[in-house]
Order: sequence, then C-alpha cells, then structure tokens
Amino acid sequence: MTRVLEVSGVHKYFGGVRAVEGVSLTLAEGRVIGLIGPNGSGKSTLCNLIAGVEKPTKGAITLDGQRIDHWPAHRIVEQGIAKTHQIPKPFLAMTCRENVAVAAMFGSNKQRDLSEALDTAGRVLTLVGLEGKMDVVSSNLTVQERKRLEFARVLGTGARILLLDEIFAGLSPEELRDAIALFAKVQREIGFGALVVEHVMRAVLTVSEHIVVIEEGTKIAEGTPREVVENPAVIEAYLGVEAAHASS
Amino acid sequence: MRLPAFRSLGPTIWGIGIFLILLGVSAPWIPLFLLTLLIGLLISATLAYSLNLITGLTGYVSFGHVVFMAFGGYALAFGVGTLKLPPVAGVALGAVVGLALALGIGVVTLRFRGVFFAIATLVVAVAALYIVLEIKELGDGQGIYLNVGFEPLSMFYTIWIILAIEIGVTYWITHGRIGYGIRSIKSDEDAANTLGINAARLKLSVYALSGLFAGAAGGVYAWNVSGAFPYDAFNLIFSLRMLAMIVIGGMGTLLGPLLGAVAVYIPSQFFLTVLIGFEFIIIGFVVVVIALFLPDGIVGTLRKYIPELRGILE
Amino acid sequence: MADVSLFLTDLALGLLLGCVFAVIAHGLNLIWGVAKVVNVAHGEFIMLGAYGAYWFNLWYGFNPLLSVPIDAAIGLGVGVLFYFVFLYRELRGKESMGLQSEMVTLVATFGLALFMINAVQSLWTGNNVGIPWSPGILQFGFLQLPLGGLYVAVVSVTIIGLSHIFLSKTYLGNAIRAYSQDISATRLAGINPTSTAAIGTALGFGITMAGGALLTVWLPTGIYPAMGNLYAPISFVIVVLGGPGKMWGSLVGGLTLGVIIDVGQLFVGSLSLAYAIAFLTLIPVLLLRPEGILR
Repeated sequence: MTRVLEVSGVHKYFGGVRAVEGVSLTLAEGRVIGLIGPNGSGKSTLCNLIAGVEKPTKGAITLDGQRIDHWPAHRIVEQGIAKTHQIPKPFLAMTCRENVAVAAMFGSNKQRDLSEALDTAGRVLTLVGLEGKMDVVSSNLTVQERKRLEFARVLGTGARILLLDEIFAGLSPEELRDAIALFAKVQREIGFGALVVEHVMRAVLTVSEHIVVIEEGTKIAEGTPREVVENPAVIEAYLGVEAAHASS
Repeated sequence: MRLPAFRSLGPTIWGIGIFLILLGVSAPWIPLFLLTLLIGLLISATLAYSLNLITGLTGYVSFGHVVFMAFGGYALAFGVGTLKLPPVAGVALGAVVGLALALGIGVVTLRFRGVFFAIATLVVAVAALYIVLEIKELGDGQGIYLNVGFEPLSMFYTIWIILAIEIGVTYWITHGRIGYGIRSIKSDEDAANTLGINAARLKLSVYALSGLFAGAAGGVYAWNVSGAFPYDAFNLIFSLRMLAMIVIGGMGTLLGPLLGAVAVYIPSQFFLTVLIGFEFIIIGFVVVVIALFLPDGIVGTLRKYIPELRGILE
Repeated sequence: MADVSLFLTDLALGLLLGCVFAVIAHGLNLIWGVAKVVNVAHGEFIMLGAYGAYWFNLWYGFNPLLSVPIDAAIGLGVGVLFYFVFLYRELRGKESMGLQSEMVTLVATFGLALFMINAVQSLWTGNNVGIPWSPGILQFGFLQLPLGGLYVAVVSVTIIGLSHIFLSKTYLGNAIRAYSQDISATRLAGINPTSTAAIGTALGFGITMAGGALLTVWLPTGIYPAMGNLYAPISFVIVVLGGPGKMWGSLVGGLTLGVIIDVGQLFVGSLSLAYAIAFLTLIPVLLLRPEGILR
C-alpha cells in the first residue's frame, strides 16, 4: 500500500512573522518532489511542520487520510516519515554505526534487538557509501560525511517518506555528481518517497519528478522541472523582474 | 524484554556481583560495628545509583533528589508508627511513595531543560520542607519517632537486596536498546525526538525508577535512625552527597556510583566522630575541584587515559 | 475595617520587602546573562552580604546602610575571582557552554554553596543572629511602616536605577548587555569578551552582596548560614518571572513576590507556607511563559 501524505492549506505564524501561508502539496511513497525557493521562503519551516517539530497554526496534514499535524515528532517518525537536519546533528559521542542503529531501533522499523539494529546500520551505511567510517566516532566526520550520515539515519528509521533538508549543499561539482547518482540509486532500490528541499538547482532538478516553488511562505508555481524552470514567476522570484521579462 | 545472556555480562558487573554475593553470604558473621557501617554504605550506594539513573544517564542534574529519600523515610515512619506495618513493608511503602512522587514531579519538571530543571527540583525540595513542617500527621514539624528495635541483619539484607536489584536494573538499562535511547537524549534531545525516540516518556521512566530506589533507601535510612525528622530528612546535604558520589565515581558508569559511595561515605564516618561539621566543607570543596578538573570521575578518567581498560571497566 | 488595614499594611510591607528582593534578583540576572549559567551558590553570596553587614555592625558599629557599599566592593572582588575560577575555563568566549560544561558548572556551584554554608557555620555558629538597628516607625494614616524598611527600599530602587543607567548609557554597560545577548557580535565590535564578562560578573556579585546587606534590615533575628536556601529560590523565581536577561524585570518580579509572600501569609496563616507557595509559582510560570511574564 502506498502511503500518501497530504499538506492542505497549512499556515504557520511565529508571532507576527508569517512563515508559511496556505501551502498545499502531496507527497507519496515512491515519488520524489523537489521544493525550491529563495532564502527565507519557508521551506525548512514546512519540513518542520510535516515532521511534527512545529505545529501548524492553521490547516491540516494527513497521512493516508489520518490527521497527523498535532502529533508529537516521535509518533510521526513511527509512521514512516523522517526528516534530516539542515545543519547535521549527529550523536557526537557515538560511532556512525551506533547513530544509525539508534534510528533503526526507534524509528518506524522499531527493531528491538540491539545486534540486529547494528547489522541494519551496517547495511545502510554501506548503501550510502560510508562503510569506511562505520566505527568512527561521528564527531570526527567532515561536514559532508555528516550530511550523509543524516541521510543514512533517516533511511535507518525505515521511513517511507523522507524530508531531506539541503543534503546536496556544499559539495564540489564532482562530489555533487556522485551524490546525485547515489541518491538516485538508493531511491530506486528502496523506493521511498521524498521531499527534497534544495538550493542546488542541478541536484533538485535532476532527482525530482515534480517541483514545488515557494516564495515568502506561499506556493508560486509547481510542475515538472522543465515547466518550473521556464515559469516567469519563478525566474522573477529568484532573479528579479527584468530577468523574467528577458526570458519570456 | 530480554535479559542479557550470562556469557555477555562484562567483567565489571561480574566483579560487582561477586562483591555483593560475598557480602551477603558473610553478613551473619560480620561484627556489629562493621555491619552498621556497611548498612550506611549500602544506603549511600543505593542513593548514588538512584541519582545516577537520572543525572548520570540523561544529564538532567537533579538537586532536589533528597525529596524522594525524605518522603520515603516519612512513609516508613508513618507506615510503621501509625499503620503498624513491619519495617520491610514500610520500606516498600517508601519505594512506592518515591515512585509516585517522582512521576508527579517529573511530569512537570522534565519539560524544562538543563538549568531550569535543576532549579525547579531545588525549589521543589525546599518548598517540600516548608510544607511538611506544617502537616500535623507528619509530626507537625517535630518529626516522627519510631520505637522499633535495632535489627541490623534485617536492615542489612533489605538494603542489600534493594541495591542488588538496582544495580541489575542499571545494567539492563545501559546495555540494551533503552540505553542507546537514553544516550541519544543526553547527546541531543531534539535529534533524538526526530528519530522516533519518545524522549519525554523515557526521561520520565528513568526518573520514576530513580525516585523508587531513592524512596526505598530513604525508608531504610529512617528505619536505621528510628524516625523521620524534617530538618534531618530534607537536608540538602543528602543531595550534595549523592552528587558527590556520582561525580567522584563517574557519572553514568556502572562502577562509578559504588566507588563514589565508598569514597564519600567512609571518610564521612570519620568526620562524624572527629571533625563534626567539616565533612560538608570538604565534600563541597572536593565536588568543586572534581567537577572542574576531573569531570569524568574516577571511572571515566581511567577509561579515558588507559584504553586497555575500556573493555573491562564500565 | 481592621482586616482591610491589615491587608493594606501587609501589601505595603510586601512592596518594601519586594524592593530588596529585586536587588538580589538583579544580581542573579546580571550573572546569569553574562555567565550563561546559573550560579547555584547565589543564595550563599546573599548570606555572605548579610553576614558582612552583621560583622561590620558587631566590630565597627556600622549600620547596615553603611555596609552596603563595603559589601558591594567586596562583591566586586569576589565576582572577578568567581569568574576566573568557575567560568573562564568553560566559557572562554564561547557562545554558551555545552551540556557537559553546564552540568559541571551547576554541580560545582552546588558544591560551592554547601561548602560556604558550612564554612560559615564552622567559623561562626549556626545560631540565628541579627543586627540591632531600628531607626523607628513611620506613621502614615493607619499604616505603620518601619523606617528601616523604607530606607532600604529607597536604596534598593536607587541601586537598580543606577545599574540600569550604567548598563544603558555607558560604554562598558552596553558592552555587558551586548555580551549577554550575542557574544560573537561583541567580539566583532572589538570588545574583549573576557574582561567584559569578568566585569559583568563582578557587578552581579557586587549587587548581590549589597542586597544581602540590605536584607538584614528585615531580619532582626533571621541571619543564619543556610538562609541562602530561602533567598536563592526567591531570586530565581523573580528572574524567571521577569524574564532572564530583562533588567527591569527584577523590580517588577521582586515587588510581585514580596507582595505574594507578605499578603499570602495573611491567607495561609504561616510564613513558611507562604514562602513555599511563592517558590512553587516558579513551576506554572516556567510552563506557561518561559520568557517571563514581562514581554
């Protein structure tokens, strides 16, 4: 059964700041949706809302028809939705394997046995290419490796819908190429659905089958990567009014 | 719920187990004054392991832990004095009271982080003293005197069993799935929540357990001193001793609280007779020094600087 | 009619007492803002200030008001010492301490607290002492207000006012405030974080000890080594009520708590219970409004 997550008309206000205004989108297992927009447009807030880290001021988020928007974060993870952190937050005193094992034990997989969880962790780390760092304490990892560990962790929970917050950021062109390939391969193998929040255009346009663009908290466009890239409103949001005119 | 296989038990728990068994078996032949000393030591150790469960494992510093011990003591005093229960039942009552109290306090205070949690527990402990002073059934400020005989062997075995169970529980918690959950909370509670760990429930469970054992220890303590008296029971020195024991021994470790108990209790007995009043000064000073310069305690520091010990000493 | 006048008297007394509470809370607020960690031994420094006033009275005949500046000066020195012993290692100009360091400082200051209580107890005695200074009573209609209480209330408000001016109008004061809010920004502005923090801490301790001296006027027999256990929670509750870091919050919080305690004892019958209730207000405040009641 394919899980479907619906975000319907969600608003989030922080005091006077309107971070998200009436955004709707649909995520499903197996589909990769890209979420792009200028800085401060509310992308991370939207991720936090879906993951239960923040609660929407208005609107609803449902999973297979059931409302989850007021659930605590850990309960949402149990349902198979997991989020990475924009700035990686590994458990610094633990090794990579232990980090992912925690995910396996408490995520939707809920593996009760410690050694099984450690095995699962090993397999996931190999899948994402961190097998060389399995028993390295995570405080010794580079930022890039930590981002990959974040990815491994959400995979380790057994999540079917992933919320990936800027996992392609800060990579060199070569690293980026490898990362995109890795992501595509893992996604094909496991078949999860994802919301890929990104600034790195090349990555998000390549891996996503559908793109949503938000600016200042509202959705201004959506469609296939090609449609979105040629959409004047999108160009205007990023580059200003003149650029939009220039391209049309 | 799976118990760890015997084969996988580490040397430390074996060592502690053998020590406890030897103690338990030889108890009837131990001279009285030494037995009394041991009772005090085991009570201290129980308290140390109790604080270790919450502060050592999760990093939430509880200054008000004396509150569980105090109410455990009052429970015993009330149970034996008013309800005419046998002392062991009184201790059990103390454990239940400690558990209930910890649940009640924890549900509210565990929502606060770091500093605020510590202060909240301190405030609760101080407020509790003032409240108890006003309650007539609890001796109306004078405390409750007990008229039980001094039964050293029963007392010894009671606290011995409690400590043994407690250490077993500590081992089970730290070596399994729950242990990883707790370590995650200590490392980064927010990240832990985003991986499916119900941090609130886990913290509360651990806090409740620590309250249970502290309450039981408080019950045995009251049995030992034949009563529960407000200024004695609610004395913050107990909280300090508990903190000192786990700081000196090594927070969150398996052997640490026991070592810490020995390190704090034995000298304190010396001070009782020789240099009254200086004990607190020296403990306070030692806590400051160790907290600043050797924050990992004995066990932690040994593990840090002697890698060979890491597989053996926990 | 008698009840109302009793109520109003207690209200007035509560407000006067609250001014002194505000001072000791203000000291905590400063230290907390600069050190980023709570000094659990805060009560013990209040106690030290109180004992200081007592000893100066005993040996030199100074009345408490005269001891205030002396205590403040001692507090400045103590504060610098405290900063370098307890805080410098852990902070070293970082944004805030990590969890481990915070724990360590909490535990260390807790140890310090009990060390101080028992040091004073051993060196002096555990008996309650007090300063025999009674400048008289002011009759204000049906209100009978102790002049001593009025004097210290005035001094207290002055201290807070001066502190406020210092913090907002002087270069150093603004540096301290900036440091409390954003350490990296202050470094960018060319301000030395270590000396700023040290001075901020010193100021906090100076005010705290001055507060202890002021407090003695309300305690004809209430100075004892463990008195910090009573006044530290009060300070904490006030700081949380007023909002950690909000400087005027101490005054509002202090007045509020003073009133709660003095008027509260009318309703619950015992002072101890009134204190207990005042402490426990911390919990709902923390639950509902962690930034404090003042926005």
